[in-house]
Amino acid sequence: MCSNRRWPRKVAQAGLLGLIFLLPAALLGQDSSQNLDTIQSLDEGIKPIPILTGSTGYFTRVTAGQYQDAPSVSPLLLLPVGDRWLVEAKGSYSDTYSKNALGDYTGHISYGLTYAQIDYITKYATFTAGRFTTPFNIFGERLAPNWIRALQPSPLTSPVTSGSALGGMVRGGFPGTQKINLNYAVYFSANNTHHLLATDRSTGARMGFFVPGTRLELGASFQQVLQADRPHSSGVYFEWQPMRAPLTMRSEYVRSSGTKGSAYWFESVYRLSQISALRRLEMVGRGQQFFAASNLSAATIKKLGALGKDTNQADFGLNYYFRSDVRASASYGRQFVLGGNSNLWTVGMTYRFVMPMGPTGNKL
Amino acid sequence: MKTRSMISAALLACAVFLALAAAAAAKTGSKDSASSSAPPAAASGSSHQDESLHLEGERRFRANCARCHAAPPRFAPRMMGTIVRHMRVRATITDDDMRYILRYMTE
Repeated sequence: MCSNRRWPRKVAQAGLLGLIFLLPAALLGQDSSQNLDTIQSLDEGIKPIPILTGSTGYFTRVTAGQYQDAPSVSPLLLLPVGDRWLVEAKGSYSDTYSKNALGDYTGHISYGLTYAQIDYITKYATFTAGRFTTPFNIFGERLAPNWIRALQPSPLTSPVTSGSALGGMVRGGFPGTQKINLNYAVYFSANNTHHLLATDRSTGARMGFFVPGTRLELGASFQQVLQADRPHSSGVYFEWQPMRAPLTMRSEYVRSSGTKGSAYWFESVYRLSQISALRRLEMVGRGQQFFAASNLSAATIKKLGALGKDTNQADFGLNYYFRSDVRASASYGRQFVLGGNSNLWTVGMTYRFVMPMGPTGNKL
Repeated sequence: MKTRSMISAALLACAVFLALAAAAAAKTGSKDSASSSAPPAAASGSSHQDESLHLEGERRFRANCARCHAAPPRFAPRMMGTIVRHMRVRATITDDDMRYILRYMTE
């Protein structure tokens, strides 16, 4: 029992020490391989301006026979300051309509602040303070916006870890060797009990290795919650885009030591760009499994809801790009849960907008 | 005891990270000032160099950006400057990749 409780600490310390020793080696090994004079002059004369961007969407979902209509908008304000600063603030608003027992549609409004952070950017590191998305694996930070995600239903790994943090973070990416780029993120978060901005007191890190030549990225993440029953989570991920096919394969695995169990998903996205009539269409498939934590009491299972039962799920979807910023999506999923399998239908559209908030200079 | 060790390890890691990053930033700053006195390579380069930069920018765009989302339309340079800076943070792309991609998206 004692040894079982110790290994997370050893893993955390080993991971953090690994980061410490890996970074200096990478920093020292790269400078001679770069033609810095040429590269560093490429963006001279371009002064960034504030931008209001984000996405809006409208989706109809049918979950186990229950219809829902959900318009949503997620505005993102980007405010560059000088050469190195960036202020980012992203909010979300959605109104979900569903039929009540009388057959009338009633709406449920939800809104929140996804992140509000200030970044100081240097060549090897970006220092971030404020509320930010927890750097754990790849879905939360890179794939979550509805105009990016290949399938609209979130994967079963999402609720296993803390999604937002309030505190500080150091992150960055740099060429470790001529063939491999490294990216990393280390953060700490304070506890916040505000109902809209709740965060856990936690710390964690993520490290990834990206091989541009083969478009393959592998990485690992760790998160330690420092409150309540102090669970830790660990995860690994990979993403690969073969050179010879318009295919993307990605996967995540997450394991929590607490009551939230473990899960993984594997997703493939194939763009039919080789068929001219269907070049705007992409097909998506995703398989995933969630394993509830063992030895949960009946009361805990009831409290956890979906996280209290083993779940298998398979999804298939289609995305059609009218333009690069307007996309129609449809998907079907089958969820297998003990005591109640269900169908998950989703159909809708997303639009990504970008609006300048200052003089843009020359038009392209 | 366990918690204290965890916090100590995390703080130590953060401290070393900060020191490393600060050192790297100072190093970058000196290089920036040195290179700013030189004429821009892209402006003085031949069409062969422009083509080379274009191909390298496209390659890096496909490797870094197209992994997650469809290629966006081309915006005005000052807008692209902001978007690429945002993606530098969000997707942890490297400084060199950011510069190549920005040039590719604004040429």
